[in-house]
Amino acid sequence: MKVTVRLYGTLRKRFSGYRAEQGLEIFIPDEATARDLLDHLKIMESLGPVVAMEGRIMKPDDKIDQGADIRIFQTVHGG
Amino acid sequence: MKFIRANMSDQTITEENVPNNYIGLGGRGLTSIMINNEVPPQCDPLGPDNKLIFAPGLLSGTTLVNTSRVSIGAKSPLTGGIKESNVGGTMGFSLGKLGINAIIVEGKAPQGELKFLKIDDQGKASFVQAQDYKSMRTYELVEKIHKNFGKKNSILCIGPAGEQEFKVASIQGSDTEGRPCRAAGRGGLGAVMGAKGLKALIVDQGGKNPDPVADPGTFKESSKVLTKIINEDPFSGNMLPNFGTPVLVAPVNSLGAFPSFNARKGVFDGWEKISGEAMAEIQGPRGGKMKHMGCTQCIVHCSNEYVDEDGKYITSALEYETIWAMGGMTGIDHLDTIAKLDFLCDDIGVDTMSTGVGIAVAMDSGYKSFGDRDAAIEMVEEIAKGTEFGKILGQGPVAVGKHFNNERVPAVKGQSIAAYDPRSMIGNGITYATTPMGGDHTAGNLVGAYLGQVLDPLKKEGQIETSREIQFFNAAADSVGMCLMVYASLNSPEAREVFLNVTNAKLGPELAVEDLRSLGERILKAEREFNHKAGFTKNDDRLPKFFYEEPLPPHNTVFPFSNDELDMMFDF
Ligand code: SF4
Repeated sequence: MKVTVRLYGTLRKRFSGYRAEQGLEIFIPDEATARDLLDHLKIMESLGPVVAMEGRIMKPDDKIDQGADIRIFQTVHGG
Repeated sequence: MKFIRANMSDQTITEENVPNNYIGLGGRGLTSIMINNEVPPQCDPLGPDNKLIFAPGLLSGTTLVNTSRVSIGAKSPLTGGIKESNVGGTMGFSLGKLGINAIIVEGKAPQGELKFLKIDDQGKASFVQAQDYKSMRTYELVEKIHKNFGKKNSILCIGPAGEQEFKVASIQGSDTEGRPCRAAGRGGLGAVMGAKGLKALIVDQGGKNPDPVADPGTFKESSKVLTKIINEDPFSGNMLPNFGTPVLVAPVNSLGAFPSFNARKGVFDGWEKISGEAMAEIQGPRGGKMKHMGCTQCIVHCSNEYVDEDGKYITSALEYETIWAMGGMTGIDHLDTIAKLDFLCDDIGVDTMSTGVGIAVAMDSGYKSFGDRDAAIEMVEEIAKGTEFGKILGQGPVAVGKHFNNERVPAVKGQSIAAYDPRSMIGNGITYATTPMGGDHTAGNLVGAYLGQVLDPLKKEGQIETSREIQFFNAAADSVGMCLMVYASLNSPEAREVFLNVTNAKLGPELAVEDLRSLGERILKAEREFNHKAGFTKNDDRLPKFFYEEPLPPHNTVFPFSNDELDMMFDF
């Protein structure tokens, strides 16, 4: 299935040619989870990634919805 | 190890050894416990009985990284309760190097008199006439002070807002470049300084007499480990140096918790234009700096230098909370304007947060339209000019709401909340309601627990306990002088253990604290005791009504905790 992924923090640098307005359009298997998505994008745990879908933070085993708008940030401790 | 007492009424200065009951305290621990002991709780915050206390952190002046914070405490004219507001820059380190644990400003200068309090490289204090600097804005002021007294001085000062005793007046601190762009913004402490007749505290940076470290070997060892942890943490080691605190704009909007248009929406339509990522894109080609060392001893460099299209300095540092208050809350999605507003606030000497929220309340009341950039700039200017509206805005968002008969004022105990809506990051609502400081995020911010997936921001489970624990730990952080950005990265039990070792290596076995939590608990108890004596009851530990009644899009939730549940925060 196709999902759109927007990246924030230092994650953008990892994808050359990343355009903020478009984000990344990628294909992942149906039933893919947040963890599968991170694996697919090769975003390691050590980068502290946080996956959010429709305004909610996803747990690693949560399934991604078809056509979902996904955002990935990094863990932040407070401002 | 000494206190300096400066009496503004009779212009006397006395030095004393730190009395036994204050030994081992620093920063917020010292200011809060001393205020609770020495300031009459019912006193007029702008009268002679209030005391303005400057106290560097316990570890300020040592070799440990990121420990240059100074706490400023007093009874707050904005909240009517106890207040501690701390600031980075260079002052904490300078005081620590001089072995000065606190400067206590007492009394009140005769009407119209203005003084500097100057401390030389031997730690000797004297008053200097400051009449020529009357009404001066802070950028011009520090330039003149540096010209007349030398560049190697740390400065804490007030602008015209402080002199006019406005309740949103800040105390501005000089950064590593000597600019007055670091702010102890909250609680109107600039008004207390203005009421006392003190325009600036000027401290020589050449002190060579810091308090001894009890166990230098352990201190050095543990400091090294801490430095490594800070460098290796993805937040302090990577994100902060690249984006600073504005990196929070994206996640908080994406979670629907960015109070916008005076807290009518949880996602700001234009947030992608004012995010940390957008700032980096705008500033790159212009030659601005996303990484800047704002404070002495800093290895993280979360500060930034924002420049205009011609590469000319506008402000430093443009922080997340300011972007929210002057951007999201006012509907202004234009970073250059927000940067100008930030500069203006620093220059006039007002808190960007309370001022931005005051503007938002005025816009929400129909005084001007949301998103009107020129109107926002003019409103801030009006504070300095002391116009009729400026005088209202200068007294804070509650005064603005009262003027326009608008009950939608996002403030607790008179102080505006911060950039996390309590309807969609509900634990932050507990902190806003219950901290003795009034609406305040630094007292106990749970955003790290949400993004770290320890807690669900919309579910009640665990929120009260987590807010309480963070309130304890942050009170301890504010006491040691470590910057909260870095302290927040020390959240593993191992890192906290090393941090405790450093602290105790400084203090020695007799003064050693059992754990950071109990230090924080002691401080919070003193603060609550003061507020209680000042007349606060549990009815003051509540959020404004609209947070319980108006659902916030996009989650369409309200603040879910009952009064009884909120009171459970104090089961300690
Ligand atoms: S990380 Fe930022 S606030 Fe902390 S000491 Fe460095 S410049 Fe100052």
